[in-house]
Amino acid sequence: MYRYDEFDAAFVRERTAQFSDQVNRRLTGELNEDQFRPLRLMNGLYLQLHAYMLRVAVPYGTLSGRQMRKLAHIARTYDRGYGHFTTRQNIQFNWPRLKDVPEILAELASVEMHAIQTSGNCIRNVTTDQFAGAAADEIIDPRPVAEIIRQWSSLHPEFSYLPRKFKIAITGAPADRAAIRFHDIGLQAATNAAGDVGWEVWVGGGLGRTPMIGKMINGFVPNEHLLAYLESILRVYNRYGRRDNKYKARIKILVHEEGLETIKAQVEAEFSEVRGGVLTLPQEELDRIGSYFAPPSFEDLPATPIDIARETILDPAYGRWLDNNIFSHYRPGYASVTISLKPIGGAPGDATDAQMEAVADLAERYSFDELRVSHEQNLVLPHVRVADLRAVYDGLVEAGLAEGNAGLITDMIACPGLDFCALANARSIPIAQAISHKFAAPERQAEIGDLKIKISGCINACGHHHVGHIGILGVEKKGTELYQITLGGDGTEHASVGKILGPGFVADAVPDAIERLVDVYLGRRETPDEPFIATVRRLGDAPFKEALYGTT
Amino acid sequence: MEILTGNELLSGAAVYLDADGNWVAEIDRARLFAKDEAEARDAAIAASKATGRIVGVEIETVKMVDGRVVADRIRERIRAEGPTAPAFPRQELGEDGHVSI
Repeated sequence: MYRYDEFDAAFVRERTAQFSDQVNRRLTGELNEDQFRPLRLMNGLYLQLHAYMLRVAVPYGTLSGRQMRKLAHIARTYDRGYGHFTTRQNIQFNWPRLKDVPEILAELASVEMHAIQTSGNCIRNVTTDQFAGAAADEIIDPRPVAEIIRQWSSLHPEFSYLPRKFKIAITGAPADRAAIRFHDIGLQAATNAAGDVGWEVWVGGGLGRTPMIGKMINGFVPNEHLLAYLESILRVYNRYGRRDNKYKARIKILVHEEGLETIKAQVEAEFSEVRGGVLTLPQEELDRIGSYFAPPSFEDLPATPIDIARETILDPAYGRWLDNNIFSHYRPGYASVTISLKPIGGAPGDATDAQMEAVADLAERYSFDELRVSHEQNLVLPHVRVADLRAVYDGLVEAGLAEGNAGLITDMIACPGLDFCALANARSIPIAQAISHKFAAPERQAEIGDLKIKISGCINACGHHHVGHIGILGVEKKGTELYQITLGGDGTEHASVGKILGPGFVADAVPDAIERLVDVYLGRRETPDEPFIATVRRLGDAPFKEALYGTT
Repeated sequence: MEILTGNELLSGAAVYLDADGNWVAEIDRARLFAKDEAEARDAAIAASKATGRIVGVEIETVKMVDGRVVADRIRERIRAEGPTAPAFPRQELGEDGHVSI
């Protein structure tokens, strides 16, 4: 893992001291709220419905056991004993008090963490594949480049006041687990004819009120010129992105309104100016940063098959967990483990302080002290020996984290919704809980197979509903929460935006509506192996619409 | 009818202006402003802002239901009761969280 150098440590320390002073000035009345608000937001401190909320960055979703322990300590000492992992691979604390926040930031700084650029119109935390550096299908580990982007974008003076926030996602694998086509910039590892690894660059994707799939602006940018290329895009966006209308200020609107070719021409012109300049990545620097992400000292192990059928007979819950929560590792004898933060009836993404500590223990003992946060609001132990899986599972059972439902219908994304969020129009978590209870039976979940439900409590789409195979969007109509259902969204390399099926449902009716959609799928799939999304693509909306609304 | 609400600076807790000019945690204690009390309401907003201790002062419309103050918007009802899922008690005002105008 990357370790802060003296520059990183200094800027985090300085910022913490600065914010501490700003809080003091606010408390003494020297600063009023209008003056203080932008300062607190620059440090990830929001004011929500019931209290402040502190959003802490987890750079590219990577944590050590020590960092996770610190998050547990913060949850216990300054909050209410839990934290909420988000779709941006970050963690949020829902109950901090203003005067404690400088101390929390100092605690975070002691483990090389901070809350800088987790809000505001700047480049936000870079997100990536939760299996980066471990996945069997990976071309290259994207984390060194993610770290370089973090360093370049942190406190970048030219890009501190962009027209709107800016999100970059990167993946080193052909299977896109980071939803890169739904980011302002998406980067996907690519290989050119000479066999060099570089980056396919996608631009102008996004969710929110105007969902758009990113467009490929360049099929191969050499690794050493990536920062120059990113800077060229940001410079064009910073200059021409709309500042007159908040809802049209993201780069997706600029690309949409001006056209990809126009933007590409501008970017290429800028790139020709800056290419080969100060942003060219020197090989020694690439090597230095890359060395932090060198593979851990894996043992040479034989490929170890997992006999799921046998384990299922002996212990069905363990069998389910092996079946769903294990992901192929590139090293024989190793596997990546998804720790589901979606217990039946739980709040998606929430973990208690004790659970965080248990996960830190497991990471230290069994996963070379590495942890990941996934954008699907789960945690990951990336490097576990297959021989240790049972021990890891037993540890997770003890911590209440052993739900074997990764990728299944109860593994939902849900934003905090109107229970916490000042922007929300409707609640999300109780909808997730009700659906989770409805489909709690493991046999039923297994029968349904891979199905991604994603729930947002407002059009800003933090719950990624547009890219749910089934998406649920909460709206408020005449004082009642209603839920629109969309179908056919997909956040992967087969990107698509879900379509609204019809009028919204009241909360109590949502689980039954979802069940009717599932029943259409089960009744109409060609084989038990045809996943939900494939059946939807084959059949179109009509039978699903009919199941919800009858023949029209 | 209308009430005034905001968040107390130190704790961030949701608070309501009562009839004695104190910002309190319970919506049931909120001062109810009738339509013809706009002037008093606006004076209270200005005085509250001047304390620098109440953030985001808003006017909310409410009804009396069985002797209780019930906000018209769902958002405000959840603010008054606390999160429903998972159900948590509301943020408490600290000892230093009492603000009056």
